Amino acid sequence: MRRLNKDAIGAVSVLAILALAPLVARSDYFTGILTVSLIFGIWAVSWDFMSGLTGRENFGHALFIGAGAYSAAFIDSKFDLSPWWGLPAGAFAAVLFSLIVGFPTLRLRGPYFALAMLAAATIMQRLTRIFWQYTGGEEGIPGLDPLFDDPLATYYFCLLALALTTAALLALAQSSWGTILRAIRGDEAACQAAGINITFYKIVSLMISAACAGMGGALYADYQQAVTPDVFAVALSITLIIMVYVGGMGSIYGPVGGAIVLALLPELLRGLGEYRLWVYSIILMFILFFSPGGLVAPLWRRLRGTP
Amino acid sequence: MTALLKVEHLTKRFGGLVAVKDVSFELEAGEIAGILGPNGAGKTTLFNLLTGFIAMDLGTVEFEGGSLAGLAPHRIVNRGLARTFQLCRPFRGMSVFENVSVGCLAPRVRHSGGVEARARRILGQVGLGAKAATPVDALPYGDLRRLEIARALATEPKLLLLDEPFAGLGGNEIEPLSALIRKLHAEEGLTILIIEHKLREFMQLVRRVIAMDFGEIIAIGPPAEIVRHPRVVEAYIGRTEAPLGIA
Repeated sequence: MRRLNKDAIGAVSVLAILALAPLVARSDYFTGILTVSLIFGIWAVSWDFMSGLTGRENFGHALFIGAGAYSAAFIDSKFDLSPWWGLPAGAFAAVLFSLIVGFPTLRLRGPYFALAMLAAATIMQRLTRIFWQYTGGEEGIPGLDPLFDDPLATYYFCLLALALTTAALLALAQSSWGTILRAIRGDEAACQAAGINITFYKIVSLMISAACAGMGGALYADYQQAVTPDVFAVALSITLIIMVYVGGMGSIYGPVGGAIVLALLPELLRGLGEYRLWVYSIILMFILFFSPGGLVAPLWRRLRGTP
Repeated sequence: MTALLKVEHLTKRFGGLVAVKDVSFELEAGEIAGILGPNGAGKTTLFNLLTGFIAMDLGTVEFEGGSLAGLAPHRIVNRGLARTFQLCRPFRGMSVFENVSVGCLAPRVRHSGGVEARARRILGQVGLGAKAATPVDALPYGDLRRLEIARALATEPKLLLLDEPFAGLGGNEIEPLSALIRKLHAEEGLTILIIEHKLREFMQLVRRVIAMDFGEIIAIGPPAEIVRHPRVVEAYIGRTEAPLGIA
């Protein structure tokens, strides 16, 4: 009970800080950076829900992000529907892709799932260039309608989306569903011997992860008012994995912190000029070397005082 | 007298090696039996075939009159046939309680609700009640063996397959575990099939021994007869292993 209270206090404090940050900073530029960091947060938690809990690493989360972003862009530019339709459409498209990749590969042992995700995202990035008549090629699809005219409203909507996604995935992770996912991570064969249909749990978890990432992708397209092939980039997938590692894999809430810290870090280091990426990389290496379990979640566990 | 498990002409090849060759036997409901054989006799392969972890090449396996051929491992468990592994395979990073609760979440037993109460009851049954909150990574080896059995029990099986439950245990740990297995058989009416490569453990535990060598059944009978069975003696001495592990 005490632990629950401390978790609630922690969550409310973080929400309050995030809610006040743009009001204090009063800069559209800063609000924009924060908005993107919140969207990264959605992507990172959704990665962690599937891959952090089951241990089946996904090297192409950008597949779902890109599917969501391009769906939202098509909805807006080709079908002329309200941009709000982009959110469910993005989630739906991402789930479709999760089934195409997950169904054949998640029943296999070995690295097939990780590699298929990586390959699928790369193929989709190529396809956006090949079918440039529809996707706008390298230029992408610009001129999308925003969800809100006010950047602050966009920011608060993203904050709400991140809070709801995290709360829902955290609740699932702490339910018996999460117990089974962590058991799959522990030993797949033993999990089958306990009567669990591991393929079902892995595929449905990937669908849930994809739905959240796809919705995040749609949010990103709406925020940028444009979409480019970069949403399918390998670099994006890898950045998310680093965010999850820094946050604390398998904790769900940790990656939110990891995403926000790492999305803001380059901005905070801007004063260093061209040495910025050097310092960024060195900080990252220090974190991963000295705290392989991540930074955010282990730190919170220590603050909370329970293992 | 109805057979709970009926195995006929079961065969499995790995390339040129016939790991299990034309194996046929029956288990009656309420029976406690053992599979004996030197290392490499095909005992674990037989278990893997019965539990769906390996696909069979030839033969039939019937459980309660229904065929198990082609069923995925988790489906076989949900029919009521659970197993343990020779090497303990706990879910690392989780507590003892969580490990057992995974078995309580199998569809076969899930609807009966009360996961927590059932998991605690089973932990009490195997003598791990006081260690429910312990992370499995901190558990001594003997307790891991009990946890392995607890997780299988959580699925409320009719037939329990134990793959070398005494492997790696010290002399003073064997008898209590043997007593636990006897209790599960006597009090819960569980049908149990145990793999061992030493007959000593079997003498007080099982009524019937199925002896295997080179993938084939070489003898079936009560332990006292199996000890003296010429083919069993030959199988062990032929490998310069101490006769039946008694020495």
